Amino acid sequence: MRLNNKIAVIGSALRTPDNPDAQSLEELLFDVTQAALKDAGLTIDDIDGIVVASNDQMDGRAISIMAASGSVGGVGRDILSTPSAGEHAFVMGALRVASGQYRTQLIVSWSPTEADSQSEVERIGADPYFHRRLPLDDLSAYALQATALAAKAPGVNEIARAIAGREGAIAGREGAKAKTSALAFRRWPLTSAMTPPPATGAVALVLASEDFAAPRGGRVAWVRGMNWATETGFLGDRDLSTAPALEAAARGAYEEAGVASPRETIQVVEVGDATPYQQLLALEALGISARGQWASDVKAGAFDFGDKLKINPSGGSRAVNAVFCNGLVRIAEAANQVRGCAGAHQVAGVRIALAHAASGFAMQYQTVVVFGQDR
Amino acid sequence: MNNTRVGIIGIGQSAFRARRDDASYPDLVREAVTIALNDARLELDDIEAVVYSLSPDAMVGIGNAERLGVDAVGARNKRFLRINTGGATGISSVAAAYYHIAAGACDVCMTAGADKVGECGDSQTVLNKIWDPTYERALPLGTINMLAMSAVRYAHKYGMSQEDMAAVVVKNRRHAAMNPNAHLRKEVTSEEVMASRMISWPIKLFDCCPQSSGGGAIVLASEQFIKERNLDAVWITGLAHCAESYYLGDRMGVGQTADHADAHALGVAFQRAYKMAGIADPRRQVHVAELYAPFSNTEFHSIEAAGLAKPGETVPDLRAGRFSIGGEIPVNPSGGTLCTNAIAVTAMIRVAEVALQVRGTAGGHQVKGARVGIASGNGGDHQFFGTMVVEA
Repeated sequence: MRLNNKIAVIGSALRTPDNPDAQSLEELLFDVTQAALKDAGLTIDDIDGIVVASNDQMDGRAISIMAASGSVGGVGRDILSTPSAGEHAFVMGALRVASGQYRTQLIVSWSPTEADSQSEVERIGADPYFHRRLPLDDLSAYALQATALAAKAPGVNEIARAIAGREGAIAGREGAKAKTSALAFRRWPLTSAMTPPPATGAVALVLASEDFAAPRGGRVAWVRGMNWATETGFLGDRDLSTAPALEAAARGAYEEAGVASPRETIQVVEVGDATPYQQLLALEALGISARGQWASDVKAGAFDFGDKLKINPSGGSRAVNAVFCNGLVRIAEAANQVRGCAGAHQVAGVRIALAHAASGFAMQYQTVVVFGQDR
Repeated sequence: MNNTRVGIIGIGQSAFRARRDDASYPDLVREAVTIALNDARLELDDIEAVVYSLSPDAMVGIGNAERLGVDAVGARNKRFLRINTGGATGISSVAAAYYHIAAGACDVCMTAGADKVGECGDSQTVLNKIWDPTYERALPLGTINMLAMSAVRYAHKYGMSQEDMAAVVVKNRRHAAMNPNAHLRKEVTSEEVMASRMISWPIKLFDCCPQSSGGGAIVLASEQFIKERNLDAVWITGLAHCAESYYLGDRMGVGQTADHADAHALGVAFQRAYKMAGIADPRRQVHVAELYAPFSNTEFHSIEAAGLAKPGETVPDLRAGRFSIGGEIPVNPSGGTLCTNAIAVTAMIRVAEVALQVRGTAGGHQVKGARVGIASGNGGDHQFFGTMVVEA
């Protein structure tokens, strides 16, 4: 279904501080918000509404989005929050602009690293009767998913290691937070190189309506298609070697964007993958590389910029693993490629890019956004 | 600007209780969803998107507990996201569902959720954690003493007495006695309220909302879908949000951003919703109100923020029965938050009750002739405010 009004990304900012302890959370949020507004050429007075997303357990606060009231400029403004995922804040903001009732939306999400144990933070998200005592955390869920995929797709372990190596190299060039190349298993078959440690991060985007964005000119990425879907909450109810929710999300986004052949049409894909196995699953569900093609695509260098389609030029989550807001970072990176302001990893001449975001145990929540230079 | 009208076509709510040992958390969500779908005459397959209504994770003891509610709302492989604005979550979730349809993303969107506050141990221990860990958490603040400070300030500005607060409780309990879904349905006298034990001066036990367990769900649809299916609907004609500062100290003393006696941002949110709905004189145009007031004193400033009375006039007006069923503008005919508070859906129930009123199906607590109703929700540390106008 086509939205009632067009939506544009007109500004963004990403912060991954080297020394997170040097800034309070509110200073970080103020900093990233002001940078995004500056990128859009706006001030907070131009913002009609705000959508924020954070995780209570990672922040160590109940209703953790409350802290955003002052730091992102929310006092006197209309704030909603989507604690289900950072990327859902983008979806909500886009829907608000598309409703015709807002000219602009500020989207902010953040992911601190102050918890004593990230694993314990995640384990609280498991159901208290069956999964919590396993114990289940994100890494364990990702490992189960990798194992399920390996059982269905022989040879995938070698492909996953190759992808991790390539993105590790990109991460090094970009001066990324995660520069590990250790081959030690964190959860079999996931190695340290595949699953970098969490980094503190904050990301902000400014969305605008067509009426607001078009006359202003400037660097704009138009939302051509957007869709989101969820798997069920219990891992035991899912076939972890498949991604049906992402297939459903991609179908809707492609239909809205008029994309019939994604591999031929899309120039850049930012994949929201916590592991290379998830990247492969996502590329299959997105209709870009079927599992029978994975080995030949790797051999041909398709995952190594050897193809017309560039995958994760930013290095993906192997470059910056800002756990809770990784999905919104992917959306910002894809939008920046279309806006021509991705920095050192800018791909030349990008007119259409896709962002994929995933959150929850083993990619429960799936989101797809197609950006274009053309409306 | 598009002209997509959005209607409410299905309403479901539990009969709220202190405990629901018979139902798991997802069971409670499903209970409300089933009632709402039956009310809408739809099946789960008709629902294109779901907005999940859940406030602090810690209240149910599960991080991102909405993930475990996916099957309860039938959202597998569908559009699904969660909203949380604290106590305002329920009305914010209805607003989020509204935007799905107004944006053209779908024709039918459901919002649903549940809470087991009665089984969380002590909700105030959880709610203390909403404050900044360095400055205000250690006082220690809770939502009761936060709004006790508002009561003291309001009493100082407008002359409210503890007996005036008790009059709100007496009114709302009388209303709740007529509402089979309300949690506290036993009528009380002013003397009984005054004799209840002090919790945080001047708020006494009977001035406080209960800790409730139960679920809520509302199905929204586009005008086109409603007409094609020949469904009954009431219409959301105005909605808005507005936020205060995070730090409570910023609403007190010299240089305050707003006066803690009042509900400044709630007033702004109502002005925005009224503007959208074309309501210029709420005192004449609004027939019924469901205003989020978890403590008796907060109903006074909520009524004033809604423009139903001038600041300071609410106390004598309430004494005169203006806000009772049978009065000029009944406020909280369901008994309100003061009689039922399952936090994740409390503000959704405000919208649901107003929708039932303007639909003329509220039952024993029906306000005669109600055609225009308003609802509100408050969240965070009296920080996030959502408002809505619902019309027949």
